[in-house]
Amino acid sequence: MRRNTLVLFAVLVILATFAWAGWANWQYRRQTAEKQTVMGELVAVPGGTPQYISPLDGKPAPAFALKDISGTKVSLASYRGKAVLVNFWATWCTPCKIETPWLVELRNKYAAQGFEILGVDTEAEDLKPDDTAGWAKDKAAIDKFVAEEKVDYPMLLDGDSISDAYGGLDSLPASFFVDRNGKVVAASVGLTSEGDIESNIKKALNQ
Amino acid sequence: MNLMTNASFATALIVLFTSAGGAHAQIVSPGAANRPAIAKTEAVTFLFPEHVTVPAGKPSQVALHFRVGHGLHINSHTPSDEYLIPTDFSIPDGVGVRLAAASYPAGTIISLPFDPKTTLSVYTGEFIIQARILATPGNHPLQAKLHYQACDQNQCLPPKTIIVPIDVIAK
Repeated sequence: MRRNTLVLFAVLVILATFAWAGWANWQYRRQTAEKQTVMGELVAVPGGTPQYISPLDGKPAPAFALKDISGTKVSLASYRGKAVLVNFWATWCTPCKIETPWLVELRNKYAAQGFEILGVDTEAEDLKPDDTAGWAKDKAAIDKFVAEEKVDYPMLLDGDSISDAYGGLDSLPASFFVDRNGKVVAASVGLTSEGDIESNIKKALNQ
Repeated sequence: MNLMTNASFATALIVLFTSAGGAHAQIVSPGAANRPAIAKTEAVTFLFPEHVTVPAGKPSQVALHFRVGHGLHINSHTPSDEYLIPTDFSIPDGVGVRLAAASYPAGTIISLPFDPKTTLSVYTGEFIIQARILATPGNHPLQAKLHYQACDQNQCLPPKTIIVPIDVIAK
């Protein structure tokens, strides 16, 4: 009788372990699926450049408020009513620099129609908040680049703090085109072409 | 009958343990598939040597072999632009092995299709760093580091530091 009780107890413990393992496995799969959903993917286009499909397409652009290079806090929400290109870049990213003159030109071309670009510097160097020397070095490099390239749109710092909301940003440049209602209407990762960027700007402007 | 019952229970227990173990293995398995295309590849791999034997207290040359992933490039140790992050090999302090000097290969000069005028000094494929090390007597399971930043023709990965594991035996 006592032996049967012990065996029954052991079986119950094992069944509980089994149930826990199943639950944990389900949780792991669910989290992985959620992560995949937020990160987007590159989809092959026959005979063309792979197209980035962002899970943010058609959804409200994640809100943020970051300091610009002059120390002023700039929020995405304050641009509601305008079409906005949120462009993540870094000083070490050569393709980002190649597209910068295009962005400056397109911003000037469409500004009168209610278009703005928010450049978001995303150095990903794991700088700690108290690393004043590291931040100063980064900012000096950004200031120099902004001056050299005559960037006249707001340039925001610490893009790493919002990169998860925009899909993790495993590679740069990454651009999100936001319409006047704050909804993402197109996105791209990697260097495309000035023509592709312009057509996405028109989409954001609803032209 | 009792024997049969006990044997059945034992079998059931083994099956349950095995199944639970299998489920747990799935939980801890890494989910590498959830990164966008370019990030799925490790940009740089350390090839060899895994072990070196050097005379203790005397500078010794060690050739470190690395490979850059297909379609990618990393900046050389002397990039063409001050903004770019150089490839850099280092050994942490206080591990019994000191890096006296490192000699890097010259970079290959490339340009990107979108901007043929801009040239970059990069490493692609296999490259070798000649490290001059000084070790105290003994066995040192060294965890050296390689810092680099990789791109392909259209996009760049964030800067990264990989561990370069070498067992240094100094006699």
